[in-house]
Amino acid sequence: MRLLQRLKGGMGSQTQGHSNYAYTTARVRAMKGKLLSKETYPRLMNMQISEITRFIQEVEYKEDVDQLARSYEDVDLIEHALNRNLAVTFNKLLNISEGELNFLISEYLKKYDIWNIKTILRGKHCDASTDDILESIVAAGRLTYTFTSELAAKPTYEDVIAALSASECYSILKDYNGTNLSDIENRLDKNYYYDLFQAIGDPKTKDRKLFTKFIQTDIDLKNLVTLFRLKRYGITDPLMADLLIEGGLKLHFKEMERMLSLSFEDFLVQLENTPYWEEISDCCGPKMESLIHVETRLKKLRLKSAESFSHVYPLSIVPIMDYILSKENEVSNLRMIVRGKEVGLSDEEIRDQLVI
Amino acid sequence: MAVETAAVMDPAGLKAIGAGLAVGLTGIASGIAERDIGSAAIGAMAENEALFGKGLILTVIPETIVIFGLVVALLIS
Repeated sequence: MRLLQRLKGGMGSQTQGHSNYAYTTARVRAMKGKLLSKETYPRLMNMQISEITRFIQEVEYKEDVDQLARSYEDVDLIEHALNRNLAVTFNKLLNISEGELNFLISEYLKKYDIWNIKTILRGKHCDASTDDILESIVAAGRLTYTFTSELAAKPTYEDVIAALSASECYSILKDYNGTNLSDIENRLDKNYYYDLFQAIGDPKTKDRKLFTKFIQTDIDLKNLVTLFRLKRYGITDPLMADLLIEGGLKLHFKEMERMLSLSFEDFLVQLENTPYWEEISDCCGPKMESLIHVETRLKKLRLKSAESFSHVYPLSIVPIMDYILSKENEVSNLRMIVRGKEVGLSDEEIRDQLVI
Repeated sequence: MAVETAAVMDPAGLKAIGAGLAVGLTGIASGIAERDIGSAAIGAMAENEALFGKGLILTVIPETIVIFGLVVALLIS
């Protein structure tokens, strides 16, 4: 099939050499098989933090825990080990893929570069220590851990931005004046999606179309969460449209702009006309107290849709995206359990936050 | 006066060409089919060595194509 597509010349202009889809997708599927199963989380909930550390040391995180055990302990050790594992895993994806596939994965993983830059700027904004900043760094993108930790060690945000003068996002970062952080963050996010769509180009082949659909669903769900948060706290300012990302699949920008001026109740009524309502209808109503259930449900929907996409076209980038999401989810669940236990949340509260 | 000589090819030669094509083309087809399966099997094995047996069997399944070609070649030659 791929051979036919290549003969037709429909592979797009950014094809750089031969892509090893069969090898990468099979390997990634085997890696997905090693992720923690659903049944593991209830067991983890009954463990103490030291037991959880031992448990993750016995599975995929052994090397990370061993490496970091000298420098950190307890919850910090788990937190750093999880971040390190995430970075190592995603770098592995870049190492085992070739050509066009490698290009698309690296473009997708640029979100971690954006994440790291945002974390460092936030850290500098609130005078966090270098260690505190490093705790949230996931060096899974193009910026290496060494470079990112050097950035985190810089004394002021001006130095951070000056060190990033060669990066693609410098044109946005140079407008940062120490007060407009949220504006810069929004622009970075929007620019990331714009660049990603540019990298995908005009999707001609079925796998690129699916990848585009995958990204668009991502945008839809992000926008939905933003809208829920805005509406829940009664914000009806149309200027908040700046927080929304363009390019969604089923929620059009105009439609969302209209939703911005509505009250929470009217917003829910409007939402009934969207395809996502079916998934979230049973956990949202005008009197809902918190958004945790809706956000968890949307994350579940995200994972479910990624999995179904990956079955539609097995030899494409989509199974790899599915793995990336599942891995991120595993790490976030583990972090949730550990952090929840540390601050003494009840099992019920932790369970509500988990996306299983 | 020109003498026209009818060129008649030896049927054994045609058979040999047919047999050669049958094996050659099916060999290429097997190769193309095994390329992706083989690399996928190696990928899966790199993560989980227990998949070696399954991977090996799946990799050689397209070998049937060239075996059919060989059978056809033996039948016609």
